[in-house]
Amino acid sequence: MLATAGAGIAQETQGGAGIKALPMSAALLPVSQAMLDGAAKDSKNWLHTNGDYAQTRYYPATQINAKNVATLKPKFVFQTAVVESMETAPIVVNGVMFITTSYNYVYAVDAVTGREFWHYKHKMGPVTTFCCGPNNRGVAVSEGKLYMGTLDAKLIALDTKTGKLLWETEIADPEKGYSETMAPTVADGKVLIGTNGGEYGIRGFVKAFDAQTGKLDWTFYTIPEKGHEGVWAKNDATGRDMHRDIAAEKVAFAKKSNFHETLGGGVWTTPAIDRATKTVFFVVGNPSPDLYGAERPGDNLYTDSLVAIDLDTGKYKWHFQYISHDVWDLDAVSPPILVDVKDKNGKMIPGVIHGGKTGHVYVHDRRDGSLIRFSDAMVPQENMWTLPTATGARMLPGANGGVEWSPMAYNAGARLTYALNLNQPMTYQVDGSNYPNGKLWLGGAFKNAPGEEQSGNVTAVNIDTGKITWQAKTDQPMIGGALATAGNLVFAGEGNGLFKAYDAKTGKVLWQFQCGAGVNAPPVSYMVNGKQYIAVAVGGNSQMDFKRGNSVMVFGL
Amino acid sequence: MKAAHLVFAVLTALSFQSHAVDIEAGKKKAEACIACHGVAGNSTIPMFPVLAGQNARYLYLELRDFKEGARVNPMMSPMAVNLSKEDMQDLAAYFAAQTPAAIKFQADPAKVKLGFAKSEEVLCSMCHLGGMKGQNEIPKLSGQHYAYIKKQLMDFKARDRHNDAGNMTSVTKTLSDEDIENISQYVANIN
Repeated sequence: MLATAGAGIAQETQGGAGIKALPMSAALLPVSQAMLDGAAKDSKNWLHTNGDYAQTRYYPATQINAKNVATLKPKFVFQTAVVESMETAPIVVNGVMFITTSYNYVYAVDAVTGREFWHYKHKMGPVTTFCCGPNNRGVAVSEGKLYMGTLDAKLIALDTKTGKLLWETEIADPEKGYSETMAPTVADGKVLIGTNGGEYGIRGFVKAFDAQTGKLDWTFYTIPEKGHEGVWAKNDATGRDMHRDIAAEKVAFAKKSNFHETLGGGVWTTPAIDRATKTVFFVVGNPSPDLYGAERPGDNLYTDSLVAIDLDTGKYKWHFQYISHDVWDLDAVSPPILVDVKDKNGKMIPGVIHGGKTGHVYVHDRRDGSLIRFSDAMVPQENMWTLPTATGARMLPGANGGVEWSPMAYNAGARLTYALNLNQPMTYQVDGSNYPNGKLWLGGAFKNAPGEEQSGNVTAVNIDTGKITWQAKTDQPMIGGALATAGNLVFAGEGNGLFKAYDAKTGKVLWQFQCGAGVNAPPVSYMVNGKQYIAVAVGGNSQMDFKRGNSVMVFGL
Repeated sequence: MKAAHLVFAVLTALSFQSHAVDIEAGKKKAEACIACHGVAGNSTIPMFPVLAGQNARYLYLELRDFKEGARVNPMMSPMAVNLSKEDMQDLAAYFAAQTPAAIKFQADPAKVKLGFAKSEEVLCSMCHLGGMKGQNEIPKLSGQHYAYIKKQLMDFKARDRHNDAGNMTSVTKTLSDEDIENISQYVANIN
């Protein structure tokens, strides 16, 4: 199978006579569970899409640092065959880099030279469904295998040395709107993956598959069959009145409560895992339809929530809902980060933090999910929670921000988390509609507020106080992700092509490079032969319509 | 109307011959479509949409909506009513695989500029993607006839077309006739 696929691929994208793929590096060894567990202190590899199981996106090497970053230079540019939105975070194992693109290509390349070892093009099934671009955010690696979710809702396993397809399994029915863009994660021989589809009336979940065989192990549905009405919460997580007509909702719920199969709640960003307590933490997307709440009375649990479940069984542990009965699409999407935090009494406890689309960083007690504090607002908030109307109601933030799917980074020494924010003023417009059977189901429209400036920022938040330590404004709304390093640096890219390094403590821009297309992906760092590199995908973004490209750029001193 | 009945009979007969997505089968079934949609889906009559190169999932779901009455058109509804799922998938696959011919349309540059600005405001590209190339069931708009685009926007606004789950009816609700004219000019100008 490999020989056939390889021959086809060689013709498909390499073109010229005599061009041969590089023999796979002998240094590439299977990634063990011990390596995955130790990733936070691994100053050689980048083994998880967000750095480690805690998802700190913190790289412990100091070779590239605030004093010398001004001399950072491009070392190579790897160009893929797909010019479209790029949101991949490359995985790097012993000098071999794994990259994904829109439409589910995977490349294995030399992380020093950019020369290709192999690539794989997923043969898409007849039905692909996705709301916001044909993205893929990367892979998980373990024990000589590489795992990727696909736009036609499959999970595939490839041999890391050859790119050979080992197995594939359908996660859910794409005809009903299920698809995959998230990077899965692997632990204890299980591949964990959620689903897209919050805009399609799916029933969200996290599933665990056997990493060896692809056989389904367990499923946790983010929409419970019973009890999704919750506690009829009147206020959001910060205590603000959400203007729900709870009496009317209860009347509607008494008439119809059996809509859990179409209530949404996608899990489309990577979970964090606490290996000590065998707990999985993830955030849940919006209810369906996005803007039309009359179809779905109640709190719509566990949409817009942070949820903890058991790694071994998938059983529920706790949840915390930020917005009940969301009609603004301000769901929970930025991956949670596991850190120690100060509780309200100043005592250090295990915590979990999440950057919200509301523009707050939320700080929770990891043991029960309770909210300890929320940060200062990182973006303008106005008229919260004005209900959508038929002709459009303005409320800020718009549906894309504060913090969209962009993963935050965290620097434990500085006690700071770094969040990328969008300020995209919008109006919210509702138009009632019934479940459209697997088609896009917004129940209205989002529109940019005419004439209002759009912008973004990188914000450093002290998680023990919730105070903003520094904020660096950007010309465009920020989407993609942050990287923090022990070199006192924070890296983040922009829609206009600029890739920047900030001083982690002050926010001063220390270096920037114009990449030529939107830099809207999470940067990573790694070390090969004693030299540290910074890598980032440069392909723009569908959702924000930033200039498309097809490259991964790699920088070094 | 007689021609439509004949075409309908041909499609009904063919629907029993195919059980999987099959472009070649779709080609035969599409013979009935040539009168309006042109050879290989390249309509030369501006009121009929170009189907060549359109997203297969969009085509399939629109046929399904015509068949089930979610979308109504006096010409298309009777054409679709007896199509099987296989017919619709074959037809969708065939048209999606065809190469669209360039549309000859003389756009008004001033209207194109205004249309672009309005399309940015109402976030067309968030669903239809940059260049209006579409994605899965969100249609490709580039290379489409100006007259067809304008009619669809007007139909959504008037709710004469409403198989969009509230999306396009909302988008068009606050557009003026002038906005629709400008957006149509802008979109028809993208090839």
